[in-house]
Amino acid sequence: MNKIALIILSIALVIVFAIIFSGGSKKQIISVNNVEIKDGIQYIRIDAKGGYSPAVTLAKAGIPTKLLVQTNNTFDCSAALVVRDADFQGILPQNAETEIDLGIKQAGEKVEGVCGMGMYNFEINFEV
Amino acid sequence: MKKYTLHVSGTHCASCKILIEDVLGEQDFIGKVDVNLKKQTVDVETESEKSIEDIAELLTSKIKPNGYTLSVEKITVEKTPDDVIWKAIPIGLIFLGLFFILQKSGILNFGLGGTTTPTASFIIGLIASVSSCLAVVGGLVLSLSAKISEDDVSDKKTFLLFHFGRIASFALLGGLLGLLGNAIGINFTFTAILGLLASLIMLFLGLNLMGVLSKNKITLPSGIFNFFRKVEHKTLTPLIIGFATFFLPCGFTQSMQFVALSSGSFMGGMLVMFAFALGTLPVLALLSFGSASFAHSKHAPLFFKSAGVVVVGLGLFAFIAGLAGLGIIPPLFNI
Repeated sequence: MNKIALIILSIALVIVFAIIFSGGSKKQIISVNNVEIKDGIQYIRIDAKGGYSPAVTLAKAGIPTKLLVQTNNTFDCSAALVVRDADFQGILPQNAETEIDLGIKQAGEKVEGVCGMGMYNFEINFEV
Repeated sequence: MKKYTLHVSGTHCASCKILIEDVLGEQDFIGKVDVNLKKQTVDVETESEKSIEDIAELLTSKIKPNGYTLSVEKITVEKTPDDVIWKAIPIGLIFLGLFFILQKSGILNFGLGGTTTPTASFIIGLIASVSSCLAVVGGLVLSLSAKISEDDVSDKKTFLLFHFGRIASFALLGGLLGLLGNAIGINFTFTAILGLLASLIMLFLGLNLMGVLSKNKITLPSGIFNFFRKVEHKTLTPLIIGFATFFLPCGFTQSMQFVALSSGSFMGGMLVMFAFALGTLPVLALLSFGSASFAHSKHAPLFFKSAGVVVVGLGLFAFIAGLAGLGIIPPLFNI
């Protein structure tokens, strides 16, 4: 086979993969109603299964906040959750809701969760 | 006693010198053997009355299975290696692409209802072996297998030991988790660091397989070199590496460890982890024994280089993900 053709093919493949994966990793703010304020406490729901959903959450700053991570037959990496800002790391039970206390966050603060191997993540942005 | 200088091709690593000298030295008509890796020559002393061509041919037949060839005239390096790497890069990229698309597709995330029975663990193991866990464990298996097949003839025995060590340690450690419960917590930072280490080994082996390192004749640091010599020549090392895969970061493994932990009994924990390891076996065995059969075929150079590309890609992925997992860099991707 022609060497130049193969080089062009390699470069084309790299570009195609770059488009596929950078396009996928661009975090879109999906307006899912996963934030709920009840009795003065803000609850944020995140589903953990094959990744975290929603990937980006907008939450209110200045009120006590709790993170509720829901697993549903989750055996993949997203069950091994690390939330550094809340000093949380652990394996989530396969079918349960895990409550993580985030405390009171200021506007502009960001809480990031990542799975043990670092391939899935989510973030919560706090706004006024 | 006559002394001949023969040209040798196929030497790609420092351990080749030892291997060639060992094999040739065992022939009874051969006296002293000295391999010069830099000049790619072999000096042999022989009592045989045969011509230098016959000796070269006879000795080649002894070391041909290991991929070396002796000749009277220096074989000028053909242009082919260059072409092979350009064929290998797209092949490797296609495999990497298929692998990541499989991860993104989400078909690996289907649910398994209810309690975790050994049968369910086995199925989870099957899924895990084609999941992103493969980035670390599979990449490591592929790179070590290809490297061992490249250097060694007794690769099948090494692979058997590795897989045996892996399944046995999963069963044993699973049992211990069930028995001791929370007394042994598996530390995230520890697994993440182990994962980084594994990804570095993959990067190194991958570049080596691609021929990037050997082309520039970078000699290995002696520590790493000794490590790989042990991997290749000792019985215990493949067992230990099999054992170590229990601690490699893999969400599935960690989930199963959690299940074993909550089983509360030695038998329960052991069954769960044993079934899980058994489930990962088909794909991992295919990787190691597959590379062995490719390594001894005529497509060997293309296979080694393509495997190198795949391993480097997976190694990079595991390395970046590992750094993100430790919180050192922000996560770069969300598969």
